[in-house]
Amino acid sequence: MNAPEKSAALATSGKRATYCYQCVAGPDLLTVKVVDGVATEVEPNFAACGVHPGGGKVCVKAYGLVQKTYNPNRVLTPMRRSNPNKGRNEDPGFVPISWDEALDTIAAKLRGVREAGLLDASGYPKVAANFGGGGTPQSYMGTFPAFLAAWGPIDMGFGSGQGVKCTHSEHLYGEFWHRAFTVCPDTPMCNYVISCGANVEASGGVVGVWRHANARERGMKRVQVEPHLSVTGACSAEWVPIKPKTDPAFLYALVHVLLHEVARERLDIEFLKQHSNSPYLVGANGFFLRDAETKKPLLWDLKRNAAVAHDTPGCDPALEGTFTCDAIEIGPDAEVLAKGRLEGSPAFSKLVAHVQPYSPEWAAGICDVPATTMRRIANEYLDHAQVGATIEIEGKTLPYRPVSVSLGKTVNNGWGGFECVWARTLLAVLVGGLEVPGGTLGTTVRLNRPLAERLESVTPGPDGFMHYPMNPTDRETWSPRPNIRNAYRTMVPLAANGPWSQALGPTHFSWMFQKETPKGLPTVTLPEVWFVYRTNPAISFWDTKGVSATMARFPFVVAMAYTRDETNHMADILLPDATDLESLQLIRIGGSKYIEQFWEHEGYALRQPVVTAQGEARDFTDIATELARRTGLLEDYNAAINRGAAGVPLKGDGWDFSLDTATSHGRDEIWNAVCKAASADLTNGKEIHDLEWWKENGLATKPFAHADWYLYPTMVAQGLRFEMPYQERLYRIGKELGNRLHENDMQWWNEQLAEYQTLPVWKDFPGLWEKSLLKMGGTTKDYPFWLLTSRSMQYSWGNNVGIQLIKEVADNVSGHRGVIINTGVARELGVEDGDIVEIATPLNKVSAKAVVRQGIRPDTLLLIGQFSHWVTPFAKDFGVPSMNSLVPMSMELTDATGSGADVVRVSVKRAGGGK
Amino acid sequence: MTKDEFGPNPWHQTNWDFRAAFNFMFGSAGAGLLVAAALSGAAGNALRAEMLLGMALIGAGLVSVWFEIGRPLRALNVGFNPFTSWMTRESFAAGLVFVLGLAAAWLGSQPLALAAALAALAFAYCQGRILQAAKGIPAWRVPALIWLIFATALAEGAGLYVAVTVLAGRSAGIAMSYLAIALIARAIVWSMYRNGVAKTAVRAAKAKLEGAGKVLIQFGTIAPLALMLIGWLAPNFARVLLPLAGLAALATGWQFKFVLITRAAYNQGFALPHLPVRGTR
Amino acid sequence: MTRWAMVADLRRCVGCQTCTASCRQTNATPPGVQWRRVLDMEVGEYPNVKRSFVPVGCMHCEDPPCMHVCPSTATKKRPDGIVTIDYDLCIGCSYCAVACPYQARYKTDLASFAYGKATASEEQGFDPKRLAVATKCTFCVDRIDAGLAKGLKPGIDPEATPACVNSCITQTLSFGDFDDPDSNISQLLAENQTFRMHEELGTGPGFYYIWDKKETV
Repeated sequence: MNAPEKSAALATSGKRATYCYQCVAGPDLLTVKVVDGVATEVEPNFAACGVHPGGGKVCVKAYGLVQKTYNPNRVLTPMRRSNPNKGRNEDPGFVPISWDEALDTIAAKLRGVREAGLLDASGYPKVAANFGGGGTPQSYMGTFPAFLAAWGPIDMGFGSGQGVKCTHSEHLYGEFWHRAFTVCPDTPMCNYVISCGANVEASGGVVGVWRHANARERGMKRVQVEPHLSVTGACSAEWVPIKPKTDPAFLYALVHVLLHEVARERLDIEFLKQHSNSPYLVGANGFFLRDAETKKPLLWDLKRNAAVAHDTPGCDPALEGTFTCDAIEIGPDAEVLAKGRLEGSPAFSKLVAHVQPYSPEWAAGICDVPATTMRRIANEYLDHAQVGATIEIEGKTLPYRPVSVSLGKTVNNGWGGFECVWARTLLAVLVGGLEVPGGTLGTTVRLNRPLAERLESVTPGPDGFMHYPMNPTDRETWSPRPNIRNAYRTMVPLAANGPWSQALGPTHFSWMFQKETPKGLPTVTLPEVWFVYRTNPAISFWDTKGVSATMARFPFVVAMAYTRDETNHMADILLPDATDLESLQLIRIGGSKYIEQFWEHEGYALRQPVVTAQGEARDFTDIATELARRTGLLEDYNAAINRGAAGVPLKGDGWDFSLDTATSHGRDEIWNAVCKAASADLTNGKEIHDLEWWKENGLATKPFAHADWYLYPTMVAQGLRFEMPYQERLYRIGKELGNRLHENDMQWWNEQLAEYQTLPVWKDFPGLWEKSLLKMGGTTKDYPFWLLTSRSMQYSWGNNVGIQLIKEVADNVSGHRGVIINTGVARELGVEDGDIVEIATPLNKVSAKAVVRQGIRPDTLLLIGQFSHWVTPFAKDFGVPSMNSLVPMSMELTDATGSGADVVRVSVKRAGGGK
Repeated sequence: MTKDEFGPNPWHQTNWDFRAAFNFMFGSAGAGLLVAAALSGAAGNALRAEMLLGMALIGAGLVSVWFEIGRPLRALNVGFNPFTSWMTRESFAAGLVFVLGLAAAWLGSQPLALAAALAALAFAYCQGRILQAAKGIPAWRVPALIWLIFATALAEGAGLYVAVTVLAGRSAGIAMSYLAIALIARAIVWSMYRNGVAKTAVRAAKAKLEGAGKVLIQFGTIAPLALMLIGWLAPNFARVLLPLAGLAALATGWQFKFVLITRAAYNQGFALPHLPVRGTR
Repeated sequence: MTRWAMVADLRRCVGCQTCTASCRQTNATPPGVQWRRVLDMEVGEYPNVKRSFVPVGCMHCEDPPCMHVCPSTATKKRPDGIVTIDYDLCIGCSYCAVACPYQARYKTDLASFAYGKATASEEQGFDPKRLAVATKCTFCVDRIDAGLAKGLKPGIDPEATPACVNSCITQTLSFGDFDDPDSNISQLLAENQTFRMHEELGTGPGFYYIWDKKETV
């Protein structure tokens, strides 16, 4: 085997450029000061100030990297489990072993799997893998993706947070409507933001925080709508304490005001007519009226006074009214529902009627927000929208709409998430503020391809809208036999079948169905081999007790282990990978990316070994290469690297740095080739820089057009409309999916099927959690509080709970030491700041220190972050619980996208009894 | 918003604990005793004993605080800043007290005892100034505290003198009047201090001081004055009552300072005269 | 003359604690010793509540109470306004700590480390001189002096600028010469409304808080 490369050439003192990508809001570009071979200090990479959209600054989490390197609790040799019994109360009895023994053990297991077949009897991959943190581990796992590609089918759909800890509805619907895996305001030009729980000051990373600070100073008004006064609420002009999970009603009330209380011409009529499906005629069955021959949707042209195809040039479509024309109405499964002289109304008319009942007065009773407040906010939004204004960006004249609505986690996943995303997108559409300067923007794509080129992912699809790679619902291609355990291809058409789709299905199903697989799906099985890296689902998912118990049944678990933790407690082999400051990788930077990373540059940055790896920790690339070699996959592995599995194809137009596929290559050799290919890619082959150059320089970029932040010009250029407000396609696929499921006698998804609507109606969303409470055996009277969570900038995604510095500084932010409870309520309960309280559901209870604050609704409790560690060194002594141990995993709390929300009804009392 | 200023709750200082408090308790009582002894006209061994006791108390206070400082071997550096530091000045005054006091005790000299008493007065004054110069503690920086510390030093010293004298079988004589005056003066200065502290200290500090002040007035002023009055009216009980009165004057002064330093020393906290404008006003 | 001063724009601060972490690391302070801290302050009663984040630390006062009370002359003020502590003179009496109205001073009697025993990086930064004496924010005086010696401009050139300012991800913190009317901070102070912490105590802090722009600007 190749000896791991330990960079003998490491400078013993000086500053080395590298990056931190511990969270989804990265990467941050930094330098690390090294003194006598020891990393001592993190600083921004000041050389990057000019290209980085956050002034080249570095997030607080990166300052923990020095301690992360020298943490004495690290696992520094490969380990083997000596206790065959697994479980929370079993001591794994890890004993140190050599790398050879560890890799041989894993390779033997993998070879055995290959020989017997890659899929099990249910058709699921026998090998599963989990990587945490919104895709960020990919920036640390070197060439492991090449190993995964070489292997073949792998189940990457075991949830560790996906679906419940992300903005799931936004991911799916956002990407569907405007190539927006995540959505944010065009903050540098926006003047008014309604932020429903979006916690950008905690989760927006350096760039988000930087942009919003600039905007605040400029005078941008942000209204924070959420049950507690988060750090983002703190930094907002106004806080609206809304009742949990009622945001759809709030947003619907705003839409109502715009459609029923202000003059129609104040809306962006032109945008509605030309860039949305507002004018499409809708027939009696809810489907578009179409041209009988071309099947194109029709609209009513006021100029011709006739129905014409949607793409007819020069027409002036009607937005309101009722019209009769020759048409055909096609339902699900291509069934012709009506044909001939049909009556239809523009989708906009339907919309106006749809939101008529949703007045601010109606919403006030639901949201616990005064109607006057909602009415004022709607009008402020419209006043700031500057409908009709334009701005010139790099020579292009674009609409300028400096208003936006952003949505946070919990608002944006689980039941009600769809309605919120729809209403938010609609609010942008009504003023023409979608994907234009100042308005509401998507950041990147993760379900469409190519991942790195958002605008290029736009291609024409049906009915004048963008193509979207839906999972099939037609009779011929839909299959009740999913490719992985969470069944995203079978159950969630919108999850698509892109690079990230596995993680965007109902990822809890992989755990939940281990107990009992619902009718119609092949029995959900345990994976024979499970790889875990930079993720800790035993802490970070919901129903953590159940998840832990399930993972204890996994027969063979390989964990890349930084320290011992609650997930690798169940592992059979621990592998110490070289951490952030010890290993090597080149990644893409720039362009537009979540959370608010909008660059005017794009390129690559290098993470390099700043110091020698501690102990026997080994670079992930070397681990991947060895695994490939010992598993007999070296050729495919090298070929995958050549194709671009390390981030850039090694062969391009005019250059070829491909690796010999037959031989095993060392880390530096591989990345040297990647570095050369990346520099060639950046300069069209003009400049070729090797690894040494990248180590010296850290990064290289080329310009990325500001105008490319916006999707609107691409849509216009391709003659495409945004698929808003009317959801004919979703309605259709929902019906088709229902047909397929029912044909297979699968009735357990019926509630979810009802979510496929043309225009979503308000449902009693909080009531769903109350019903779930009843099912658990509780009553709303006995469990009167909504327990929520909130991100912590210091910890989110960071996998850094074992870092003392992070704990110390995080504790300066209120709420990190316990559960936040309203002052008045605490007084009523006889609870004082610092008292221990018991938080309970009918099924479980935890204790926490009370953090008594004014900035939270009386009916709400808040537990920041997710702790409750019981193995992780240092973190296990925090004494702070997590709501994850209280949130049940259930079908009824799963929405149609396969997502749940971080909400649970609880009781609270002083430990030992309240006064 | 109803308040002009906004701030999180101040918290109790953690820098000075009982060891520092002992310096103020023992030191000023010792200084007060030196003053009472010198003024009483005592001579001979009685004077010697009282002078030595007074100095022992001051010394005990200084030793106590020596145990609190981080770098005890550098203790002499305490004398480097006579220009502005009342702690340096206190150390100088203490040095003077010891020189003069030891000389007075050695020689049994009343004039030297008087000179030592003057140094002791300076020492007591320095102690008041030390606390008052600590701007970080609102309950300390009240100007009246200087005179409260000074007055209680005199009262504690007089009380101790009366107690020791009577227990030694001697007549307290004019020291009774001196004690009475000192007690009344202390009560008056307490009242001034209380008014001052009401404007600066946080509620928790005021509550602690109120409690300590109540003890100071009830058991440290009214009770000893009453005991002295009874002792004057009923001389048969004086041998018991007068020491009790003296010790009450001493003990209540000590408890007040203990509370002042270790219980009521809430820091300044932080306050914002204006809240930041977040985007729009 | 030069008067180094810091400005914190409270409109921008989000309480991210990056400055605190950076300061801890650059100055190798032991756990819990935060020369640069950011307070999380809540004001008002539900639902009319405001929350602010306020960077604090040594204010490098014009008339520093800590210096006046210091019996050993360990605490001094330089002509450029930076208040310093001579660790070789300090007796660790903590008088300065109770004299400081900003709770800026720390004293750590025993060596302490993140995980009990010193890690390699902690060994690098460990300075036994700092044990049992008063410590506090120095405005990163060593960076300023070294930077000036190289002809750099503190507050502008990162190498000569306090670590907290360099690290600040919101541009809340700025550093510069108060006496130079053209300096970065003089401009900020001219354009905005500011206050200083506990101004009524007369300490003359060299630390200004921006809370709004000036009406006339």
